[in-house]
Amino acid sequence: MGRNRHGADPSGTGDDAGVDARFTALLEDSAEELYESAPCGYLSTMMDGTIARINATLLGWLGLDRADVVGRKRFADLLTVGGKLYHETHFAPLLRMRGEVGGVALEMRGADGGRLPVLVSSVVKYGTEGEPLLIRTTVFDASDRRSYEEELLRRRRDAEQAHAEAERARAEAERARAEAEQARAEAEEARSQAEADRSRLADALAVLQQSLVPASLPEVPGLETAVYYHTASADRLGGDFYDLFPLDGTRWAFFLGDVCGKGPEAASLTSLTRYTLRAAALHDPDPTAALTTLNAVLHERYAGGGDPRYCTVVFGVVEPGGDGSATVRLASGGHPPALVLRADGRADYLPTPGGLLVGILPTAPVGTVETTLAPGETLLLYTDGLTEARTGPARDQLFGDDALLAFGGAQAPASPQETVAALTTLLRGFGDGLDDDTALLALGVPALPPPARRPATDRPS
Amino acid sequence: MNPLNITLRDTAAGPVLHVAGELDYAHAATLRQQVDQLVLKPDQWLVIDLSGLEFCDSSGITALLAARQHAHTAGADIALAAVPAKTMRVLTIVGLDRIFTIRPAADTV
Repeated sequence: MGRNRHGADPSGTGDDAGVDARFTALLEDSAEELYESAPCGYLSTMMDGTIARINATLLGWLGLDRADVVGRKRFADLLTVGGKLYHETHFAPLLRMRGEVGGVALEMRGADGGRLPVLVSSVVKYGTEGEPLLIRTTVFDASDRRSYEEELLRRRRDAEQAHAEAERARAEAERARAEAEQARAEAEEARSQAEADRSRLADALAVLQQSLVPASLPEVPGLETAVYYHTASADRLGGDFYDLFPLDGTRWAFFLGDVCGKGPEAASLTSLTRYTLRAAALHDPDPTAALTTLNAVLHERYAGGGDPRYCTVVFGVVEPGGDGSATVRLASGGHPPALVLRADGRADYLPTPGGLLVGILPTAPVGTVETTLAPGETLLLYTDGLTEARTGPARDQLFGDDALLAFGGAQAPASPQETVAALTTLLRGFGDGLDDDTALLALGVPALPPPARRPATDRPS
Repeated sequence: MNPLNITLRDTAAGPVLHVAGELDYAHAATLRQQVDQLVLKPDQWLVIDLSGLEFCDSSGITALLAARQHAHTAGADIALAAVPAKTMRVLTIVGLDRIFTIRPAADTV
């Protein structure tokens, strides 16, 4: 734009005479032509608005004939209804008051009914006495400007809408965050509730477990005892059980066994078994009688319901003698045989043939055996968690009776504590192979004190 | 772990259940369900053929005892056939070798 102005300098100060001449010729362009074809509309009206003169440009914009306009219409007639109203109430009074009004946005109405947004400026021409003579008005086409403004408005509306949407999305996100927070809090609460439940259940299980096996064995005069209990699963109450208790001033009863199944049902069977044996032994200390009573109780309780429950158990009565030995009488109902570690280094099983699982028949045969424990000898009762511990990858690769017998032989002679300690180490070595509950109960007669030491002076220096 | 595979065969003397695989805590219930569905007539023999048995723990023993009870309730008899040596050892320890009728094979009487 600046270049154009420079190239056609209206001041006429250019050096080139030819350019000057052409420019002068342009300036001499007819003023009439300039008026009629100017890039804006011109009109002159009487003070009452009657149009006295109008240029071709404005007539062209409005699609009107000069003959229909000049002397026949007033400026206000060319406006839309809204424009006319604004003209009457604002434009005309302002013009009368000030003598000029500039750049007022109005809407004109074309012959075809179309609307033309325009910017209108008017000046009153006064006579020599200062009396108003006529009004000169220029009209600029504001369509582009209007659409620019509309575009601006539209953009602004879009921006506002986008902003509103962003705001809505933000609120949505905030709500989702709050919901997630609440869900997290609820999950946390549920977790801590579950934790509390679990802890309560663990406490209850521990208490129940205490009722199934004694926390510690009583001291037995003239005897040594040792126990070990391995629970395959902390959540599952054990199916193995043992006990040791006095019968009278000289005799003690003990038992060790294994109930079928796992979990709460097994625990309830264990409980029934333990307290039945205790009560039966106090009534009749004969081992066979105790197991016979237990069989009757379990059979009455469980058989016939289609869900047989039973246990295997060894029940014994031990009576320490005056000579430092102890007599042991055992009765077994389908339980693996007890093992004796002799003072001379041998280990023997004490078979109790003829015994049957306790609880499956109305009357069950019981196998019995009797032995004497000399000083330094130990009797070991165990459940099949020991002999059926897996020692290899195959499922049927088990520790077994022969290995236990050999292990006992290698340990003998050994006190109950030594025997149980050695077996505990052995069981730990099985790792995952020890997949069942395992109980060990050992009792024995203390070995005689070793011969008195020879005087220290006899030792080689 | 081999799953338990049980097949049923009817004979003139009564049904024969062939049990193959592992009769343990996880699978013993399957045998108990199969047995419970068997309809036995008085004096029939329910034969449990253990020739394919690879493992049997106390849950398996319980399932066999439940089968025995099911048979006796119907007035029928039960026999264990082709018991593997390891299972036979366990049955002997718990005294069940004298409670169950034991047969060398399913078709021997």
